[in-house]
Amino acid sequence: MELSDYFSQVFSDYTLRTITLGTAILGAICGMLGSFAVLRKQSLLGDAISHAALPGIAIAFLITGTKDTNVLLLGALVSGLIGTFWIRGMITKTHLKSDTALGLVLSLFFGFGMLLLTYIQKQPNANQAGLDKYLFGQAATLVESDVWLMAIVTSVCLVVLLLFWKEFKILLFDADYTKTLGFNTRFIDVLITFFIVLAIVLGLQTVGVVLMSAMLLAPAAAARQWTNKLSVMIVLAAIFGAFSGVFGTAISASQNNLSTGPVIVLVAGVFVLFSFVFSPGRGILFKQLRVYQNRRDLKLQKTLQFMFDIARTHEDISHPHAIRILNNFQGYTKATLQELIEKDWVSVSGQNWSMTEKGYDAAQNLYNKN
Amino acid sequence: MDAQLEIQLIATVVAIACAIPGVFLVLRKMALISDAISHSILPGIVIGFFITEDLNSPLLILLAAVTGVITVVLVEAIQKTGLVKEDTAIGLVFPALFSIGVILIAKNANDVHLDVDAVLLGELAFAPFDRLIISGIDVGPKSLWVMGGILLATVGMLFAFFKELKVSTFDAGLSAALGFSPVVLHYGLMTVSSVTVVGAFEAVGAVLVVALMIAPAATAYLLTSDLKKMLVLSVIFGVTSAIAGYWMAHFLDASISGSMTTVLGLVFLTVYLFAPSKGLIAVMYRQKQQRTEVSLLTFLLHLNNHDEESERRVQHLNEHINWQKVRSKTVLDLAQKNNLIAIENDLVTLTSKGKEFTDLALEYIITNKDEKIEHMKDDFFLFRG
Repeated sequence: MELSDYFSQVFSDYTLRTITLGTAILGAICGMLGSFAVLRKQSLLGDAISHAALPGIAIAFLITGTKDTNVLLLGALVSGLIGTFWIRGMITKTHLKSDTALGLVLSLFFGFGMLLLTYIQKQPNANQAGLDKYLFGQAATLVESDVWLMAIVTSVCLVVLLLFWKEFKILLFDADYTKTLGFNTRFIDVLITFFIVLAIVLGLQTVGVVLMSAMLLAPAAAARQWTNKLSVMIVLAAIFGAFSGVFGTAISASQNNLSTGPVIVLVAGVFVLFSFVFSPGRGILFKQLRVYQNRRDLKLQKTLQFMFDIARTHEDISHPHAIRILNNFQGYTKATLQELIEKDWVSVSGQNWSMTEKGYDAAQNLYNKN
Repeated sequence: MDAQLEIQLIATVVAIACAIPGVFLVLRKMALISDAISHSILPGIVIGFFITEDLNSPLLILLAAVTGVITVVLVEAIQKTGLVKEDTAIGLVFPALFSIGVILIAKNANDVHLDVDAVLLGELAFAPFDRLIISGIDVGPKSLWVMGGILLATVGMLFAFFKELKVSTFDAGLSAALGFSPVVLHYGLMTVSSVTVVGAFEAVGAVLVVALMIAPAATAYLLTSDLKKMLVLSVIFGVTSAIAGYWMAHFLDASISGSMTTVLGLVFLTVYLFAPSKGLIAVMYRQKQQRTEVSLLTFLLHLNNHDEESERRVQHLNEHINWQKVRSKTVLDLAQKNNLIAIENDLVTLTSKGKEFTDLALEYIITNKDEKIEHMKDDFFLFRG
């Protein structure tokens, strides 16, 4: 299937429509909540929680024996939350640092999950096949009810976000101040963490345990580069996330043997790369351009200062001097001289330059700004 | 040698080889770098596998280790731009590299007998089947030789550079001033970690390498603050968990690596709860003790400030300082047990010892030297809160 086929069929074909909608909604909710994770410096929480959800899936299956997505995701949610609060407990109560706590929960829960999964596979129960789709995710297994679930969770999350907007925002930027204002910071904190865990669990089926953290981070990290405003960042991140979902699905559908999860992550990665380089305020490209601009200004000023020092010693400031006396001077190039002439600070006739009235004033006031 | 023994031997070697760099990663607050490396070596492994068609070839290990170092360099480059925080940089780099690896495998599924599951999860049970044969003689499982080599190199470097590693871990500035480049040591450690992860992934899988690196070190860290003891303890924890994990898997008939991690988790949980001074229970007990003792101090200062009888009644405590009954009773009991107060007809008075303590405590509060109060408590208290 070609890419154009994909776009012509996306509205008519049931599977394509479901998957596209699912990944788009997932991208949007992940972008939204990921913004909070990134700004709260909990970027890798997503990685830890997605791994920590695995034993929950296995235990939910062991208890109920069904493969109903909602039941399994509920198990994932519970074990994800346990993981999150254990991480928090470790950081606050012991001297283990956050990176160690995250790594521990990630690997220990995942290992336990693997033990349970292999244990289940050895059971004489034919129903267990397909549990490992949660490892790498299979967007192709999304059905309409899954998409509905995602849509409902996303709208609930949106409502909560709007209701508690002020609280979330203030907690994000100044936790101590929030506390002194009398807000229940613990409640707000648990609420936002709960929704982050929820988003991660929702994504497990589509992009899988390993790549979930990128789903959460990449749109938010990209959006961060374009704005300093929280509301704009969240909207942008949701848009980036949704587009990564749609483009990723489109590309993977148009090629053979391409699983959706990794492609979505790579598309999101392209968004990040593009933002890193081309964002006007923080991007590498424009930052570098500003560096060059400043450097040129500095050289220009150095030349002017040098000329000023010479001109000062003469009664007539526009007394001509030979250009070659500038030659050994670091700031001097043909270009800087040309620029000085353009600014009407210096005039050149033949092989001599002379300072103008305007240039003399400018040089005199070079260092007394304000 | 039978297969069972060989598996346990490999597990032991892997556990030791992982525990040593793990200690330094945990101490340098870079534990998550091991997670990043373990995922991002995937493209290196895939490309190496395309070339060599052999999972144990030295070239493959080299390529994968290079990918691991590239990950570290990329993370640091992104960090240096200042556009995102360090953890975000890690979270962006490794899923991207991992995705590339997954896609490479998927696009060449027909030519490659390599499975993402195999890389991520590993299977120790198969390790003895891949033999190293030198001039027709079977000298043992290949992965044992590979991991043994890595372990020897790691231990050699540990002994050779112990002093440098130690100083650069705890004080990078001092180490630079002394002439040991922290950058060289940093990349050396990263290279060793990458090589270890690559060597171990086939046996225990990429995710569980992380457990073998972090968990023993974190467990040991809760028990000691001495680097040498921490190294020894983490090696012991790693090895016992590996062997216990093997037998657990044997009886449950489940994944060996999974059960090794589970045992590691149980060991960590036990130590986390019960470690003598840094464990959860010890910390909570100490916090409760300190809370009571702070209340006691407040109470004594209150007594010191007020001579009038109305302020010194027992019931007054509940009203004025607004403590619950239980708490005021605990504080009163503690004060009485330590002979700091005397109670007559429901009227509380400071004893001379109590007065002395309160005066000293006041001085402490004014001069605010943190360490002083603990000595003071040792001097005055027969019983702690």
